[in-house]
Amino acid sequence: MAEERLATRTQFPASAESQKPRLKKAQEFPILEKQNWLIHLHYIRKDYEACKAVIKEQLQETQGLCEYAIYVQALIFRLEGNIQESLELFQTCAVLSPQCADNLKQVARSLFLLGKHKAAIEVYNEAAKLNQKDWEICHNLGVCYIYLKQFDKAHDQLHNALHLNRHDLTYIMLGKIHLLQGDLDKAIEIYKKAVEFSPENTELLTTLGLLYLQLGIYQKAFEHLGNALTYDPTNYKAILAAGSMMQTHGDFDVALTKYRVVACAVPESPPLWNNIGMCFFGKKKYVAAISCLKRANYLAPFDWKILYNLGLVHLTMQQYASAFHFVSAAINLQPKMGELFMLLAVALTNLEDPENARRAYAEAARLDRCNPLVNLNYAVLLYNQGERKGALAQFQEMEKKIRLLKDSPSLEFDAEVCLFISAQEARWPRSWELPCRSGRRWSGRNQLKTPSQSTGALQPAKLPVCSSPWALTRLWDRPCRRQLRTGNSHQVPEQQPSPPSRRLCPWSQSPPQEHSQLKHQPRSEKHRSRTAPGQGSSGGDVAG
Amino acid sequence: MAFLCFPALADLHGDGEYKLVVGDLGPSGQHPRLKVLKGPTVLTESPLPALPAAAATFLMEQHEPRTPALALASGPCVYVYKNLKPYFKFTLPQLPPNPLEQDLWNQVKEDRIDPLTLKEMLEGIREKAEVPLSVQSLRFLQLELSEMEAFVSQHKSKSIKRQTVITTMTTLKKNLADEDAVSCLVLGTENKELLVLDPEAFTILAKMSLPSVPVFLEVSGQFDVEFRLAAACRNGNIYILRRDSKRPKYCIELSAQPVGLVRVHKVLVVGSNQDTLHGFTHKGKKLWTVQMPAAILTMNLLEQRSRSLQAVMAGLANGEVHIYHDKALLNVIRTPDVVTSLCFGRYGREDNTLIMTTRGGGLIIKILKRTAVFVEARGEAGPPPAQAMKLNVPRKTRLYVDQTLREREAGTAMHRTFQTDLYLLRLRAARAYVQALESSLNPVSVTAREPLKLHAVVQGLGPTFKLTLHLQNTSTARPILGLLVCFLYNEVLYALPRAFFKVPLLVPGLNYPLETFVESLSDKGISDIIKVLVLREGQSAPLLSAHINMPVSEGLEAT
Repeated sequence: MAEERLATRTQFPASAESQKPRLKKAQEFPILEKQNWLIHLHYIRKDYEACKAVIKEQLQETQGLCEYAIYVQALIFRLEGNIQESLELFQTCAVLSPQCADNLKQVARSLFLLGKHKAAIEVYNEAAKLNQKDWEICHNLGVCYIYLKQFDKAHDQLHNALHLNRHDLTYIMLGKIHLLQGDLDKAIEIYKKAVEFSPENTELLTTLGLLYLQLGIYQKAFEHLGNALTYDPTNYKAILAAGSMMQTHGDFDVALTKYRVVACAVPESPPLWNNIGMCFFGKKKYVAAISCLKRANYLAPFDWKILYNLGLVHLTMQQYASAFHFVSAAINLQPKMGELFMLLAVALTNLEDPENARRAYAEAARLDRCNPLVNLNYAVLLYNQGERKGALAQFQEMEKKIRLLKDSPSLEFDAEVCLFISAQEARWPRSWELPCRSGRRWSGRNQLKTPSQSTGALQPAKLPVCSSPWALTRLWDRPCRRQLRTGNSHQVPEQQPSPPSRRLCPWSQSPPQEHSQLKHQPRSEKHRSRTAPGQGSSGGDVAG
Repeated sequence: MAFLCFPALADLHGDGEYKLVVGDLGPSGQHPRLKVLKGPTVLTESPLPALPAAAATFLMEQHEPRTPALALASGPCVYVYKNLKPYFKFTLPQLPPNPLEQDLWNQVKEDRIDPLTLKEMLEGIREKAEVPLSVQSLRFLQLELSEMEAFVSQHKSKSIKRQTVITTMTTLKKNLADEDAVSCLVLGTENKELLVLDPEAFTILAKMSLPSVPVFLEVSGQFDVEFRLAAACRNGNIYILRRDSKRPKYCIELSAQPVGLVRVHKVLVVGSNQDTLHGFTHKGKKLWTVQMPAAILTMNLLEQRSRSLQAVMAGLANGEVHIYHDKALLNVIRTPDVVTSLCFGRYGREDNTLIMTTRGGGLIIKILKRTAVFVEARGEAGPPPAQAMKLNVPRKTRLYVDQTLREREAGTAMHRTFQTDLYLLRLRAARAYVQALESSLNPVSVTAREPLKLHAVVQGLGPTFKLTLHLQNTSTARPILGLLVCFLYNEVLYALPRAFFKVPLLVPGLNYPLETFVESLSDKGISDIIKVLVLREGQSAPLLSAHINMPVSEGLEAT
């Protein structure tokens, strides 16, 4: 050191200016990376306070030149939600070492988190130039393209990522693309491969199970959901889906036990309380069912399925007025479903309003494609009103649907309906004198199962209610028709702002909730499970 | 904050009594010390130049007595202690500087280029950056124009240096697999390299390069025969190298940061900062994953030689230490503070001792019972405890049940009543609405010709109030001309200077405040409504109207 000082002195004649620098010169430049290991250690241990302290010290010492300190500071900022600040720091890093793909990747990631997908794609492309074989870049590019709805490009990039290195996350995103494009089969292919690659990933297993459920392949669905539950017995999605399958098979007690786990983990989940309610319904504990369903409805007031179930349970409880309100609320949210109108019609029939019941049935028959119960109930109503021709037409329609259903064996409730129908047949000649008992029409009878004792339970006899002479009450006609029309309420030429509120649905104009496909899945499954009892009882109500 | 790190156990004095070596950052973090403990007491304490990044004990030579040396890696140096006395200091060789950069500074030295050109050229080098710049150049690039001259004259005579630092260190047996065989030091450096040092001469035996900076190392085998080296790096990847490979042979991409790396027999166990423990084969194939209840802070190997058991210990952020044998949880130790480092081995004369340092600076020493057998808890795969909890089904009151019964009895009547009332309500609402439209009682006019909006503000305490009408033409393009404003009020109570006036042309979109004064004439403290009508010239029906509830005059009471 002394020699060096001497050297400077010889070069510069002693002057006031050169005196000062000489003093400073004694200190060496600190090594920039000296504390990097400590910063990293604190960072991975998530001890962010200590980490920040070291970073601050290090940045002071190196006058902001320590790239890694800035990098980690930016990472911490991002974790704390200060994405803009983190972006700025990453950009500083990128200036300090422009050839480092990592810095560019982080800049792009921050841009992505800020929702600037196009900018992120540009930066990722730049990073890809520096590092060709990085799956992360490809993967993130793919995700950006998904957000920009350029699915083809996203698809390519994600495949590139898989080619470089296989990761569960890439499979999940790739599956999502197919789901967004509505291609269930391809999505299942992807998830199958993913499950093969990482057989213990519960998220993949659950998703695959749900997809199978959606396609109605119950065996495989149950297998995958069961696997998911083996690895993670508290997986909320898998439990709900598996529970709904158990409900379909009538294992209400088992399903309820499983739901307890979910109730602990996610006590405010509307689908959960809906399913619990329908379990109680299946066990004929109606009051408990209603209170659970009402909780579900409180948690998700715009979910028409919950309202449907509430309507169903109230019908069973013979609370027709309440049932009417719940079903009409459901119709306001989901105006395209025939079964809902059928329920409404059942309620109206019991509220002694056959005029509107008929309209509701007509609407139900118009909307419905495959549920023979709609036509059956309609036929019964028409018959009771003395319109035998109309009843006959509906009955033929029902038979057509049943034949269709029998041809496609995949549908499960087939057997149940057959039982029901055959039961109907058995009592038909007894209760009513229907003039259509020609042999031709009943040719299918031999194929139908004979009514057994158990099927009798499906339809509690309520003949007196229906067969009693209707009191025609024209007064109620109009409001009810309006209710029925809510499906296409925009056709009603009304310029005035609508008067205060209609029934209990002030939100009638709001569109039904949108669920993402996957989220939607468990619910729709539940729905299936609940329709099963519904068909029995609602049919029973009217059929009698 | 006290900070204890890298506990290491070694027979430092060669007397068969194993000591514990711990680095202590000290209370303020400024005075790191090296502490040697025997039993629960501190034997010696010596100051350290800086907090070491890593420590290792290893046998340097074959001679008797075979006392292991202690190596501490700090900054660019490895300090080797023997018998707890400083023995040797190894410094990493300087990295070759960028030749272009060197050339530039040489030119500066001979005053051939000025600082500005230097800056430009250096920036050019940085852009390409095959070899990173030295600190001197980086610092120079940060300077303002005015400071450059001084900086250059101060530093130009110095040769530029590039020094890297050690980030991690471990040991590797030289040529014998015995427990007390001579070992080499393996160093990981900040410039993404791995170095193997000769234990006697401290020369670099092998150099390997990695794609990222190593954080944790795990080595097996012998240097002269065959070895496998796994390096967990800062980019979240783990690279596996073999004896003859200069570059990584396999790569494990974690997509998270590794927080620990332990080899159990042939399985590499990696803890990630996403609270998971993964098992990998030595070729990088994933075997299993275990989810942890909390973040992993540190990991180490537990080796019970008497029962030939190897397991992984993981210190978690919730103050527990979990011991795993493959996927199976063997034991959980609860500690009063969060454990930041773990070490298992012979301490004193006890074979199976567990040393734990805590975040607060505490040291916990546990001795495993000699009869203890770790059993895999097989039965824990039962249903989760939440399954035993009762469902919280909302209760229904007596009143609810009564109402239900009533509805069953009189459902039809209820429905009819409800429908009638609803119908009447709608009728009434519609009537009121039509009436309002017909008499233009609303403050917003939506007729095609004169879309107008009106709102009124009353200011003042009285007896004189200021009434401001805000009139706005809400049409998109068409101005409105020929409007009149008329006030209707009780002339006994109020007096207005003008009860009827013309409105100027209304340009679309603008807000026109029309002010007028209202004087309250009554001294009885009563107030009334003033009606404002906006009319079109030549039409008797108002376009719109507003009712203004006048406040009670307070000024009157004061006078």
